Amino acid sequence: MKKQFLKTSLLIISCFACLGVYANHHEKEYKFETLAEGLSFPWGVAFLSNDEILVTEKTGKLRVIKNGNLLEDSVSGVPDSLFKGQGGLEGIVLHPNFENNKYLYLAFSETDPGNSKLNTLRVIRGKLEGLSLTNVETIFKASPSRRTANHYGAKMVFLKDGTLLITSGDGFSYREMAQELDNHYGKVIRVNDDGSIPEDNPFISIPGAKPEIWSYGHRNLQGIVINSDGSVVYEHEHGPRGGDELNIIEKGKNYGWPAITYGIDYSGALISPFKEKEGMEQPIKYWVPSIAPSGMTFYDGDLFPDWKGSLFISALVPGDVRRISLNGTEVIDEEILFNSLGRIRNVVSAPDGSLVLAIDSRKGKIIRVVPNK
Amino acid sequence: MIDRVKKVGFLFLAILLVSFLVGAQTTVFNLIWLSSVDMPVTFGVLISSIYHDFVLMTLTPAPPAPLPLLPTIISLGLFIAFGVTWIVLRWAGMEKKYAYGIAGAMALVFIVYLMPLLFFGVDMLAGARSTIGKISLIICGYLGGHFFGSRLSKV
Repeated sequence: MKKQFLKTSLLIISCFACLGVYANHHEKEYKFETLAEGLSFPWGVAFLSNDEILVTEKTGKLRVIKNGNLLEDSVSGVPDSLFKGQGGLEGIVLHPNFENNKYLYLAFSETDPGNSKLNTLRVIRGKLEGLSLTNVETIFKASPSRRTANHYGAKMVFLKDGTLLITSGDGFSYREMAQELDNHYGKVIRVNDDGSIPEDNPFISIPGAKPEIWSYGHRNLQGIVINSDGSVVYEHEHGPRGGDELNIIEKGKNYGWPAITYGIDYSGALISPFKEKEGMEQPIKYWVPSIAPSGMTFYDGDLFPDWKGSLFISALVPGDVRRISLNGTEVIDEEILFNSLGRIRNVVSAPDGSLVLAIDSRKGKIIRVVPNK
Repeated sequence: MIDRVKKVGFLFLAILLVSFLVGAQTTVFNLIWLSSVDMPVTFGVLISSIYHDFVLMTLTPAPPAPLPLLPTIISLGLFIAFGVTWIVLRWAGMEKKYAYGIAGAMALVFIVYLMPLLFFGVDMLAGARSTIGKISLIICGYLGGHFFGSRLSKV
């Protein structure tokens, strides 16, 4: 009896020891390095090089982090944005040929010049020369303008063919318009790098349809990326109360909002009792309750070999990053990481294979995730 | 004492009635739109949706708030409106059911027009996003007030 008890006790202790070693090892795979602090609601991140980083502050400034130092001066020449509600200076992306043409693109909310009670999403491009943005021109402006200061989308990605995808949110109170093609609410937009309309856009020849539309039926899309060979476009969007989605975006497809949804309204009311319908796309993953997905990157680096080929999605609620393991385009696993940092506004892959996080706060931070060797 | 309890009971019922009507309005407006985009809205879907919305909007807390949001907001509006009406009726000669009906309507006017001002232009009640939606919600407020006033007249 005594021997049996001792054997069982030793076995249990060994199991716990192994778990402890595993946990300890797992915890020490990575560590955080703070690159910058005191940023005002950092939102979009783009890399001029591994050590020169552009960061949009929602309050309206484009900041530069150089060799771990946040430059005091911001980039001049950035148009005024409307910092109100969920709006402000938000998305940023560099032209694929930035090295030669110096074009960067910014997405932001802006007061309608014709009516100060209205606002809209605007995308501009400009040439970055030192700390100045010059030759600023409008690439896209969502229409019609809206009263609400919510749900702008404002994320961008270049496809391999050189066209630009822009996410345009549903404006919250205009959700039904996401199902109509005569406006830009709740859409993925596709334009050429100069703002002209690609001839192969799906609705270009449909009378009354906005020719920029690439896909529709979306809510508030805050993540859009392509995989390593550019063959797949992943997008995520906020659901209402529950129903955040991860989708694969394809030309001309309808993603169902608000006719089908896995969420309910904030008041508790049904937005739709339907979760699927023929002709409307299903997400490859959805979250109930919501995690408030705020940014995404497709990891193709070498610093974390186990993470290669995964999607990383930053979440505002409760504040972490989800690593989504894929088998082709099928989600096979979800791992919760970096859950000690608070609300994470964005996650981006750096050129050296590290991950960079934007921490959402009035005194926000930019943090680099590196291996813990 | 019993009369006072009855009055409180009628007030509670009025809040419940307005909450139910507002919830049902939200449901119906949503389903009308869904039907317009060829979603399969049947009578069964209508009934189950009204039930679902009543339970979740009126009886269930809406996190992070610890209380159900809709009846809380409606209670606040009706308390203020009915309180003012009670004072006014001391001098004004008007049938209670109409006076409180107008009070209920005014409470909903404030709710549907003030809420966007608090939430960056957003109508938190989905049914309030159109003019006809706002009008129907105001009618819901009137009906709740009318019910309350008519019951008060009999106490």
